[in-house]
Amino acid sequence: MSKTSVVEFLEAGLKAEALRQKTIANNVANLQTPGYRRIDVKFEQQLAKAMASDGEIEPDELKAELYQPKNTAVNPNGNDVSLDVEVGEMVKNSIRYKAFIRLLNKKYNQINEAIDIK
Amino acid sequence: MKVGNTFGPIDIAVSGLRAQNKQMEVISSNIANARTTDAGKGEPYRRLEAAFKTQSDEISGVEVGRIEKDMSSFDSMLDPGNPKADKNGYVQMPNVSLPVEMMNMSLATRTYQANAAVLRRYQQMVETTLELLR
Repeated sequence: MSKTSVVEFLEAGLKAEALRQKTIANNVANLQTPGYRRIDVKFEQQLAKAMASDGEIEPDELKAELYQPKNTAVNPNGNDVSLDVEVGEMVKNSIRYKAFIRLLNKKYNQINEAIDIK
Repeated sequence: MKVGNTFGPIDIAVSGLRAQNKQMEVISSNIANARTTDAGKGEPYRRLEAAFKTQSDEISGVEVGRIEKDMSSFDSMLDPGNPKADKNGYVQMPNVSLPVEMMNMSLATRTYQANAAVLRRYQQMVETTLELLR
């Protein structure tokens, strides 16, 4: 991580978590839809790649991808959404989101400190 | 399942919730069929039991491995008017015992609550850590 700033990475992370929150809401809404498979966001792998690329992949080019993991047990009606799993994902998501927000806040405070030096 | 990361306890607690959910499904099947005399093959309903197993041999969550049939003998009930009665007037009834099922249901409910409590507590723990970032 050289040229790009922490703020941009945090921004990309926040965007991805917001999208993930939407997919969770979507999954819960389709709890009873026959044949529905749960959707998740693929972001961490892309973030790791961007971090390793040493500034070649800009964080704002990072695009969180939607995909169907298809790794949970399927009901007789072809639906694989479990409310428990979604609640767990939501808890994880809110923790990540909070962490990003706090870090962003920290960063802004640092900038403020720098501005305040007279 | 990956453990040893920040979200390990969450995944484990969720696996507990899912397992107890399945257990409830098995119990409701047993209770709903407590007086089902026809489960095909000329037999009454056979009680089911969920066998829990660990997801791996290290720190891990739980999953329902197999739903097994309870092979204990069937009850017989005197009911000469029943078309399924044998020549002595006895009808074979499922080997479901309602008190046992009710007890299992309480256990499943409490275990579910315990797992939900773990989930909540752990969430609070991580949020305490995040407070340090303020």
